Amino acid sequence: MATVRAKGYSHWQGSLVERRFPWWPITRTGILLAFRKKRFKFVFAMSFVPAAFFLVGLYISERLEDFQAFVRGSERLINISPDYFKLYMTNDSLLFFIVLVLAFAGAGLVADDLKYNSLQLYFARPLRKKDYLLGKMSVVAFFVLIVTAVPGLVLFIFKLIFAGSFRFLLDHPWLPLSIFGYSTLLTVFFAFYVMLLSSLSKNSRYVMILIFMTYFFSSILHGILNSIFREPALALFSIPANLQQTGAFLFGQKPPHAFPAAWSFIVLAAVCAVAAFVLTRKIRSVEVIT
Amino acid sequence: MSIEVKDLHFRYGKIVALDGVNTRLGEGAVGLLGPNGAGKSTLLRILLGFLVPEKGEGTVLGHDIRRDQALIRRMVGYMPESDCFVAGMDAVTFTSYFGELSGMPRQEAMKRAHEVLFYVGLGESRYRLLDQYSAGMKQRLKLAQALVHDPRILFLDEPTSNLDPHGRVEILELIRDISTNKDIQVLISSHILADIESICSSVVILNKGRVAAEGRMEDLRAIRYSLYELRVKGDGGPFRRELEAMGCRVDETEDRLIRVYMPAQRDRMDVFRAASTTGVQLRYFVKSQTSLEDLFAGAVGVD
Repeated sequence: MATVRAKGYSHWQGSLVERRFPWWPITRTGILLAFRKKRFKFVFAMSFVPAAFFLVGLYISERLEDFQAFVRGSERLINISPDYFKLYMTNDSLLFFIVLVLAFAGAGLVADDLKYNSLQLYFARPLRKKDYLLGKMSVVAFFVLIVTAVPGLVLFIFKLIFAGSFRFLLDHPWLPLSIFGYSTLLTVFFAFYVMLLSSLSKNSRYVMILIFMTYFFSSILHGILNSIFREPALALFSIPANLQQTGAFLFGQKPPHAFPAAWSFIVLAAVCAVAAFVLTRKIRSVEVIT
Repeated sequence: MSIEVKDLHFRYGKIVALDGVNTRLGEGAVGLLGPNGAGKSTLLRILLGFLVPEKGEGTVLGHDIRRDQALIRRMVGYMPESDCFVAGMDAVTFTSYFGELSGMPRQEAMKRAHEVLFYVGLGESRYRLLDQYSAGMKQRLKLAQALVHDPRILFLDEPTSNLDPHGRVEILELIRDISTNKDIQVLISSHILADIESICSSVVILNKGRVAAEGRMEDLRAIRYSLYELRVKGDGGPFRRELEAMGCRVDETEDRLIRVYMPAQRDRMDVFRAASTTGVQLRYFVKSQTSLEDLFAGAVGVD
């Protein structure tokens, strides 16, 4: 260890500024810390595999003449419609990769701060609780948007490029909004979902397991209940089913389950409300034990 | 006055932490002394706005502790008692991160982080991951993050806890340098009298959520009294009350040893007179050696 005061203390000559977005350093640092994890980089790269498959599908569809040998009687190999984009945004593999990315990038967001007592350092700064939460949630938002909205919009643009016309856009002008709207819904839901679970334990490994187990257990529970009662509304117990139901609604497609999409919106909103309630109680500058 | 609180009350559930604290702290290094659970950390947390007092008011550098929390936190550096860091970071990133959160521009925060890390003696290990830091290094790091935005006041909560004697001396030397040469006021909360004594010019002593004594160190040191240890046969209650009526502080240990802190103007014969008056037999009577801690304890009524 170096000698104490290897260099003398000098006063800082600058002046502190009041940031418009005081939460931004938290977000930026959270994103950078996620990329320092070796396994995360691999998982993050893998999350673009579904987008790559759908891009190939787009290409094949629009360049049909190059693939005549594969066609057996159908005019088009793949029919590109809003349903194709809905399929990309709501397919199980994409949702799986989102959960996987968030398990690596989001598990420690609050859990590590609770474990290492760093909340008091944050709140000794001119930060409000909402700044802290917004900063952490924005880390989740960044990753969800980058694996949903960005590839979704890129696919849409490639569809136009491959088609060589704006016909598809003129036929479905609301589609980019649907992509962005559904990505936003996923972002909001997963931000609350991950933050809630991250605040429940000081051990980020447990939180990783929780993020996975809660997501998949809800689906398993739905499967078990459905096999017994044969009731479509039981899909409300399943997180992926609710996300797919709302996705179908936002893309104007036939919902996969026979109940109003509004019910799924209510379930997802309820999860967010519970998360907000728990977070406001768990995130404190000091842990008060009475 | 840089810090002023009036009639401050706070409780954790049913446990009273602060029970009407009034104090005014001036410039220089001020010690917040008291036994564990006296309310020292609670007072610091209220001054920082972590906790909202049930009753009472206060100001830090003229800013209201209830309304102007953000302003206060810009001007205050806080070094918590417990170990705290952010996993996966090195010291430079950590320190500049909290500088930035204090409102420093990013590049300035990074530059300043290097400076304060050199100052606290972590210059050579500033790129090491914090998970690999020793207890002493973590303590210095906490000091660095508290200094990074060049605060006008430093709140140090038990700055020497968990340190070996050598590390303790080094941290105290740093704090002394900051408080004497750098125009930064330091408020140190500690239950270690020697730490406070070596750094602070004045002290506030808390006990059971109240200010038991406050003033300059020299004035408190000037208080003189005698400590006697005794055992009695008979009903000790009236005897004890008689001694307390004389201005003595009386403590009884678990093995029924009575410790009497007698003011300087009193005579030891007063103890015998009190025993005679209340009808108890004195079976043991010894003038005890007093440590510095005893001196303070006796003078201000700290257990």
